[in-house]
This record gives sequence, C-alpha cells and structure tokens, in this order.
Amino acid sequence: MNQFTLLKESSRDLDLFPHIKEFALTKNSTIQLDSFVIGVSDSIQIYCVIDGKFEWILNQCPHTLYPGDIAFVLPGQEIGGAKGFLDIGTLYRLFIQVENVKQGAGMLGSWSSISESERLAIGNILLLNKTPVLKIKEAANILCKIRSEIMSQEIGYLTRVNHLIDSLFISVARQSTLQADSRRDFPRTFMKLERTLRLNLAHQWSVEEMAALFGLGTTSFTEKVKSFTGFSPMNYLINIRISEAIKLLKRADANFTNIALETGFYSSQHFSTTFKKLTGYTPGQFRKRNASQNTLDNPQSYGMRNHD
Amino acid sequence: MECVITIELGTNAVRVVAFDLNGNAIASAKGSYPTFHIEPDYSEQDPEQMFITMLYVLKNLLSEKVHPKNYKVISMCFCASMHSVLAIDKNGVPLGNAITWADNRGKKEASELKSSELGKKIYDTTGTPIHPMSPLIKITWLGRHDPERFKKTYKFVAIKSYIIQQLTRGYILDYSLASATGLLNIYNLSWEPDALHYAGITADKLPDVVPVFYSPGKLRKEYQRSLGLTDDVKIIIGSSDGCLATLGGGVWGEGKAIVTIEDSGAVRTVGKEVLKDSKQRFFNYLLTDKFYLSGGPTNNGGVIFEWFATHFGDFKTPFDLDYTLTNLIQEANAVPAGSDGLIFLPYLLGERAPIWNANARGTFFGINIKHEKQHFVRAVIEGILYEIYSIGKILQEHRVINSLTVNGSFASMPFCAQMIADIFDKPVSVGKNPDSIAQGSFLLSAIDMGVYKNLDEAAATVLLPTTYKPQKQNHTLYQKYFAVFERLSTKLYDEFEEIAKLQHDPMS
Repeated sequence: MNQFTLLKESSRDLDLFPHIKEFALTKNSTIQLDSFVIGVSDSIQIYCVIDGKFEWILNQCPHTLYPGDIAFVLPGQEIGGAKGFLDIGTLYRLFIQVENVKQGAGMLGSWSSISESERLAIGNILLLNKTPVLKIKEAANILCKIRSEIMSQEIGYLTRVNHLIDSLFISVARQSTLQADSRRDFPRTFMKLERTLRLNLAHQWSVEEMAALFGLGTTSFTEKVKSFTGFSPMNYLINIRISEAIKLLKRADANFTNIALETGFYSSQHFSTTFKKLTGYTPGQFRKRNASQNTLDNPQSYGMRNHD
Repeated sequence: MECVITIELGTNAVRVVAFDLNGNAIASAKGSYPTFHIEPDYSEQDPEQMFITMLYVLKNLLSEKVHPKNYKVISMCFCASMHSVLAIDKNGVPLGNAITWADNRGKKEASELKSSELGKKIYDTTGTPIHPMSPLIKITWLGRHDPERFKKTYKFVAIKSYIIQQLTRGYILDYSLASATGLLNIYNLSWEPDALHYAGITADKLPDVVPVFYSPGKLRKEYQRSLGLTDDVKIIIGSSDGCLATLGGGVWGEGKAIVTIEDSGAVRTVGKEVLKDSKQRFFNYLLTDKFYLSGGPTNNGGVIFEWFATHFGDFKTPFDLDYTLTNLIQEANAVPAGSDGLIFLPYLLGERAPIWNANARGTFFGINIKHEKQHFVRAVIEGILYEIYSIGKILQEHRVINSLTVNGSFASMPFCAQMIADIFDKPVSVGKNPDSIAQGSFLLSAIDMGVYKNLDEAAATVLLPTTYKPQKQNHTLYQKYFAVFERLSTKLYDEFEEIAKLQHDPMS
C-alpha cells in the first residue's frame, strides 16, 4: 500500500467531504528532528498504527502505541512525539473537523447519518473517555476501505465514506466503554452519568441516551438504575432537576421561565406543575417562603461545584 | 388501621419504612443521592437533593402502599448518619453542600488538636474522638480555610436539622447526633465552652439540643397536602443510625455487643456509664440522657470486599456484582481458616478505631508460592473481620461481652457471620436485615405512643435466636494469625507514613 496525504482545500478528492481536514497514510522510514512536536489539536484526530512502535505524549501522559492501537484526540487536547519526532513505522491519520465539541451531539456533524440521540450518546462517551489509546482491531480495515472509496470514486462513494467514518466512531465509543473498566463498577459509572446529566440539564434526555453511556440496553439499564437508586432513570433525573431548581429559586434574581428551561423542563407551566406535585408549593410560593436577601451571592464561591 | 413511618437519612440513600403498631414492616422504599468528591479528601452531599429525594420516596410510599390500604399515619420518626455539617445563612439558605462524616479535609486540624492537652480534655467531656469526621474539626477547618463562608454562616446545622426545618420550623438537633459533634458535653448535655472556643463559634451558631422523643411541631400545610397526611401526624426527631441500629438489634444492657458492617463498620455496646479510654480510641454517644453507646468505628468494611470483587472478580454480565460476590464467597469457602498463612490488612481507606491512623494502607502479608487467587479472597474477608475483632478485643477491656448480634449487608452474610463467631469465640445472632435502624426508630415511636414503658422494655422485645456457634478449632487458629495481624497494624507505622506521603505527591 502506498503512502498518500489528502488535505482539505488542497486535495480535490476531499471537496465533497468538508468535514475531513486531513486523511493520510504515512510510512516513516527516517527520524527527522522536530517532525512531531507536542501541540494542541484543533480537530478530532484519529491515529491508527499499522507497523512500528510509537512513543507519544497524550494529554501530558506518555503512551506507547503498537500495531492495532489507535489514538483518539479531541480538540483542545495535546499530542506529540515523546522526543518531538515521529518514530519509524506506518500509520493512518484521519482528522475530522468538529462544529461544537462542548456539546456531545456536535462532535458528529450533519454529514453523519447516525440518529441524533445516538450521536449525542456517542459524543458524551467520547468526551468522558479517559483513555486516549484504544485497541481496535477493525480500525485499520475501516481506514483502508475509506481510502479505496475515496480513490476509486465509484457510485455512492460519498455516502459510503461517511458511513465508514460513522462506523469508526461507533467502534471507538464501544471500545472506550469496554476498556474503562466501567462495566464492573456500577456506582462509579453512575457517578459519571450524574455528572453528565448535571452538565447538560437543559437537554431533553432520553433513557436510550443514558443507557448508551453504560453500553447497556434500556431494559437492563433501567432495572439496574432502579435497584441502585430506587428510581427509574427519568424519575432520578426529575430529582436532580427539582433540586437544582430549588437552588436557583433561592436566589431571587432568576426568573421562573429561565429556571424551568435551565433545569430541563419544557416550560414554566411544566416546571410549576411538577414542582407543586412533589413539594405542595408552587415555585412562587416556595420562593416567598425562602426569600433570600443575598441575591448577589454566587454559589460558586462556596464550593458548590457538584459536577467538577 | 394505624401505622408509623420511619425515615433514615443514610450515607448513600434515604430509606422509608411503614410499620403497623405490632412492629411489622408493611412497606418500604429507598432513594439514593450522590456523594461528591470535588477534592480527594472532600465528601459532600447536596442538601436540596437529599430533601427532594426524601420527599419523593415518602410520597410514593404513602400514595402507593399506605393510603390505598387505608392506614392512618400516626407519627414519623427520623434517623440520620452522624457527623454531618451544613452551613446556612440567616434566611436558611445552604451555603454550599453538606459535609459528610467521610470528609477528611480537616486532617491537619485534627492531628494538631488530638495531640494537645486541650484535645484530651475535649475528648473526655464530649465523648467524640478527635478526628476529621467530627463537626468540631470541620467547623474549625471552615473558620481557617473558608473565612467568607464562615462569616456568612448563621448556623452550622446537621443535615437532619435542615430536613426537619424544611418540613416544620426551627433548627433543632437530638442528643444522639449532637453528642457525635465533638461539641456537646455528654455529662451536662449542653454545648461545651472549650470546644466552641476552639472552633471559634458561640452556642447560638448551633441548633438547639433536644431529647430524641422531641416533636418540633406540625408538618407544614403544603407538605400535609402533597403527602396526603393529616395535621395531627406527630414528627419525632429521633436519633442517629448507630444508636438506632443498636436499639433495633436488641443489644441492650450488660454482656451484649453489636457488630454492624455495611460499607464501613462498627462494634458497639450500650451502658449507663461513659467508657473512659486514655488513648482516645472509643466514642461515647448518647441515646438518651441515661444511656451511652460506646464503641469504635472502622472505615474498611464491605466496601473493601466490593473493591476486591470489582477489580479481581469474574464478571459474567456487565455490572452484576452480586453474582461475582457469591462466586468469591464460594472460592473463599474452599480455603481453610487462616488462608494458609496469608494475612490482609484492610486499611485501603486509612483507619479509625483502634489505630486511628489516616495514613494506614492495605497490605497482603506472608504470600508464598502455594497461595492461589482463592487464598487472597478469603484473606480479604478475614482481614476485614480481624479489624472488627481488634476493636472488639480492646472494648472487652472495658465491657463484658458474652454474645454478639451482627447486622449490615456484609456482616450478615452467613459466611461472614460464622467467621465472626469463630474469631470472637462468641455466639452470634443475626439482626433483621437491613432494617435494624428502622426497627430501632419504630421502637422509639412505640415508646412515645406508650406501647412500651421505656427503652429497656422496648429493646427486650427484639428476640433473635442464636444462629452461629463458635467453632473452637477455627478460633484457636484465628488467634494465632490475629496476633500477627495486630502487630503488623502498628509495626508498619513509619512505612505507612512514607507511602501515604509518596501516594499524595510522588515527587516529594
């Protein structure tokens, strides 16, 4: 297989794939100083080792990559050679441009044909992933197919290339839930879910999205959450929503509609009904009872950082 | 028909149980809330989420299982974990999260006070060991490291005080929880001036102290309505988890002790005298002004076995820990008592009683080439129980113990309960699981209603058959290994200090 390098804007082959920043196969046979210094990535970078041994620094941690390993780097994360150069060997590079990395759903752009809820779940898994090096057997094969699709440009290749990239992301997401030892430690994985829910409380979460973070189907996920917390996943989420809403209500400056939307209720009406059903108070009555004079207080300053 | 509700605000979850007046549980439900560790030594919980979770669980239990059967709720009795601290401002708004018993941020303050003359005096009058768990230390820490929050604080309350205030009015705390703050004089039942002075506060910064039977008044109207309760439901402030588990386990009076092991564990006895220990190893908490609960707590209970299972057990399906635990117990069973000379010190979380060393760490000792995985499994369980025994052994220098009750999900597993009988060489009965705490809360409510005359009479109704008899041969063997265990637990002191330092900062 020959080396190649395709770059966005300079390679016509990529004209139909505005999301691909770079796609290359490199056979490195000599060491060149400063050929791979540590830098911050501005896209999703996927490296797949075919041959050789690569010593890299990923997010300040040293990693050694062997054939079959992939490195998965998010925008803002750091990557580079441990000694500043690229080691001898062969590897694929595929860089994907991201619209909005903070939102899990933004990681896979409109080119992807994965459903929105699965895109969000995959995005969240990748954001939570703490191990940037994963062993994925099929990755090299997928990248090789992407290459031949782009080169041969047969009918339907646009769709097929994007499908292959989708399937690469799915493999990475699956492997990272498997590899994180998370399928053993339910409490720890549940705390990760807690954190994710709090960070995106305004999002309309579905059970499917939550279950995907555990790599479980919805039935088995619901059963396990129920036995661990006493609540169904949706009811547990309502708990967090109301608790966070109470904190906002106690700061007199936020208005009800904003509180409702910020904590994930459809509307102030929906918020009010749910709140009253549980507490017996409407949000207005509740605020009156707890009227705080410290409207300028910033809860951050008291270490109320539940989701750090 | 009438019924009584008990509400336990536990370490990880709230448990609500409804009892008929004969003490039979007619319904129960739980709801968990998270613990946040935003820094390695921190352990916090969100008071609003605890309150909402409690309300949610209570409401569901009432509307699904109590109201449909036409039970009339007479009272609600509360129980909570010890040592929590929540700062609130003058409007009753929490200033940050509640700090739980497991929080260790005050390590430095604790060791400074503990080694001083003042510390010894405070321990003697308050009965609470000087340790980061103690609210005395937590409030001191806030004063020194979070002066802004400290200054804004109208009161430092316990999580229970906050929940009760939300439901009724007024900030109050029962004798039991107050006696676990390190700030209450357990002889005259008032806040101790020396301790207040050390923490830098005055008594008005703390809730009012009341007996465990005290009722703070009616449930607020809104909650009566949302819960479907009448305004004559009596709210009883109740006691602490430790006190009520002991009462509900029927461990009352001379000759008895209770071993509780959930995630963490404790060995406790009840007496009319304060247990005086010059080495400050034991707590003395109050159930009422006449009864002292004395004993020692360990950090390293079932949580250590779960740690082992999570990392070294075989998982058939994702997250199925129960299956893994069952298999491990079977493996442990295949190894003779004493694990063929493999000894495990379970101090993964540092340790409280009896060595009180936050820097202690886990150790496998005596590994030889013949040891297999199953030896390690059994050694882990034996290590956890040797640690429990090391508390019980010293406790027996002060109190007579003829028989034991065990409760908590770890201790009441048959394999563990038998091992406790063997290691202690005492007959063991198993408490009603997991509800000794609820049972204890029920007994308090029943005394309040006049069903029983007093605590003695109530405790005597808990009759548990002896299930496990000690096996002499095993006991003799365990004694020999325990002697090594006990020596190791203190002998490694310098190495524990050094490794803890390295684990904290490898470059130091």
